[in-house]
Amino acid sequence: MQHITRNLIAVAALALLAGCASTGDTTGQDQTGAQQDATTEQGITAQPGQDAYSYPYGQAPSQYDTYDTTGGTAGGQAGGGRPGQAVAGGGSAVSADRIVYFSFDSAEILPESQAIISKNARVLTGNTRIITQLEGHTDERGSREYNIALGERRANAVRQAMIAMGVSPQQIRVVSYGEERPATAGQSEQSYALNRRVEIVY
Amino acid sequence: MRSTAFKLLGLIVLLLVGRFTVAQQPLTIDITKGIQGSGIPIAIAPFGGGAPEDIAGIIAADLQRTGKIAPQPPGTRTDYSVTGQAQSGGARGYVVQFQLAGVQGAPLLNLSFDVPPNQLRPVAHRISDLIYEKLTGEKGLAGTRIAYIAGGGGSWYLVVADADGQNPRVILRSGQPLMSPAWSPDGGKLAYVSFEGRRPQIIVQDVYSGARRVVSAAPGINGAPSWSPNGQRLAFTLSKDGNPEIYALDLATQNPVRLTSSSAIDTEPVWLPDGSIVFTSDRGGSPQLYQIGPGGGAAQRLTFEGDYNARPTVSPDGRYIAMVHRRGGRFHIAVLDLQTRQFRVLTSGGLDESPSFAPNGKMIIYSNGQRLTAVSLDGSVKQDFTLRGNGRDPVWAPYGR
Repeated sequence: MQHITRNLIAVAALALLAGCASTGDTTGQDQTGAQQDATTEQGITAQPGQDAYSYPYGQAPSQYDTYDTTGGTAGGQAGGGRPGQAVAGGGSAVSADRIVYFSFDSAEILPESQAIISKNARVLTGNTRIITQLEGHTDERGSREYNIALGERRANAVRQAMIAMGVSPQQIRVVSYGEERPATAGQSEQSYALNRRVEIVY
Repeated sequence: MRSTAFKLLGLIVLLLVGRFTVAQQPLTIDITKGIQGSGIPIAIAPFGGGAPEDIAGIIAADLQRTGKIAPQPPGTRTDYSVTGQAQSGGARGYVVQFQLAGVQGAPLLNLSFDVPPNQLRPVAHRISDLIYEKLTGEKGLAGTRIAYIAGGGGSWYLVVADADGQNPRVILRSGQPLMSPAWSPDGGKLAYVSFEGRRPQIIVQDVYSGARRVVSAAPGINGAPSWSPNGQRLAFTLSKDGNPEIYALDLATQNPVRLTSSSAIDTEPVWLPDGSIVFTSDRGGSPQLYQIGPGGGAAQRLTFEGDYNARPTVSPDGRYIAMVHRRGGRFHIAVLDLQTRQFRVLTSGGLDESPSFAPNGKMIIYSNGQRLTAVSLDGSVKQDFTLRGNGRDPVWAPYGR
C-alpha cells in the first residue's frame, strides 16, 4: 500500500511538472524550496534552480509525450502540443532581425548577415548593461556532439564580429544547442537552412 | 507545512483536469533483415501452469531477434526443443522450470527458478540467454537493457528499457535538452549532458536511486561524457579555454586534466581497454577519428575513408570502432577493425548516428532520424525498434546488475 501511495504521488508530481512545462515556464524559477522538499521526500530528486526531475528506476514512470519530428508540431499524438508555440523544436521564437543563418558545414558570416549583426551590435554598444546570449544551432545531419561544437563555432563567429564592431566581450555569452533545438521540423533542404543559425537573445 | 498541503492539492487538481498526458510507449522490434529460414531451428512449446506471462512467447521472440536461432511451432521436427512450466508456488510466488533437449531428446539444460510474479518476464529473458549461449557459444542479450533520449520541443526524457524494447522507464524528465547518455561499466550509473538552467552540464545519475551529481559545469561546452574501462574516470569535452578540447576527470579527486591541444574541434572521446582515447577532430580540415595515449600526447589519425568520420564507439573487446560516416551526403554507421584496418559501411539509412555496441560485441544499436535500429557487426541481421514516440542517442547497457 505504501508503494502504491508513493507511486501515485510520483505520478502526481509528474503531472505538476507537465503543467509547468505547458505554460512555457522552463526556467525553474517557480520551483520553490517547499515543492522540492515535498517531491524529494517521495523519491523524486530535484535540485535547486533546475528544471529536471529524476526518478529511481523502480519508481520511474513509463509514460512520456510523443514528439513528431517529421510533421511539424510538437506534442504529436499524445496531445502535448503547446499553444502559442509555432515552431517544432522549442526554439525561443526570436524575431527574424536577431537570427543569423549559415551555409551547410560552415561557420562563415555571410555578407547578407552583416546588417543584422551590426544592427544588434549598435543596440549593445548603445546600452552596455544589456547582456546578449548567442545561441548556436545546426541542422540535424551528422553526429550530435560534433554539431554542438559546430554550433559553438557559429556563435563564436558572431561574437567575434560583434566585438570587432565595438561590443564589449563582457556583454556576450555563448551557448551551443547543436541540433537539439531545431527552429523547424522536417528533413528538407529548406528546413535544414532555417535550422543552421545563431539566435541573438537579449 | 501549509505550503506542502497546498502543493499536494495542486497535484490533485492537475490530475483531475487531466493535464498529464498518458501515452503508453511499447517498443516492439521487427526483424527487417536476416535470411529467411536461417538460424538453428528450435521447437518451443507453450509453457503450462497458467502464469500471467506468455513465457514461451517471450523466449521465442528473444531467440528470433538474435537472427541466429529460428523458433518453430511445437511439434515441428527439429534437432532442438524447449518445454517448460510456470506454476504458482514456491517461496516467492512462481516456479518456472524448463528443459532444452537436443538430438533425440538428449537433455542439454534443465533448470528451475523461484520468482515473484513481476520477475516472470526477466526470467523468460534469462532462459532465452541460457538457450542462446548453449546453442551458439555466445553470451545473449535478452536480459540486457538500453537507454535512450526521447521527446524534444519542450520536454526531454532519459528512458531505460529492456533490450526487447518493453518496460520503458523515464528516469529523468527535463524542460531542456538532454543528450549523450553513457553507461558506467557496472551498469549502475548513467552520465549525460543536460541543458537544465539553459547551459550544458555533465551529470552522473545513479540509475537505481535517482540521485544525481553535477560532474562538470564549466563555461562553454560540457559534452560527450565517456567512462574509463574501470569506471573511475570520465573523459569529456570542454571549450572553456576557447575551443573544444578533450579532458579526463578522476571522479574521486574531481580534477579535470586536459589531454588535447589544437585550435580545431576535438570532441567525442571514448576509451580503448588499454586506457588510450579515440576522439573526433577536424584538425585535418574535416572530422576524422584520432587516437591519443592515456595521458594525451601526439595524436594518430585512424580514419581515411571519405571526409566525415565522427562519434566513435568501441567494441567491448577493443577490436572494433563504430562511427558515423558520411558518403555522398548521407550518414551511415561504419566499422573499423583495428586489427586488420578493414573499414566497412554497415548501414544505409542516410541519417544514421550515435552507434553503441551491445555488451557481447555482436550487435550495434544506433539512431536513424528519430528511430532506433540495431544491426549485427557482420551486417547480416537488422532490427528496427518501433517506438510510438521517438528515440535517439541509444546506448546499450553493459552486463552487470
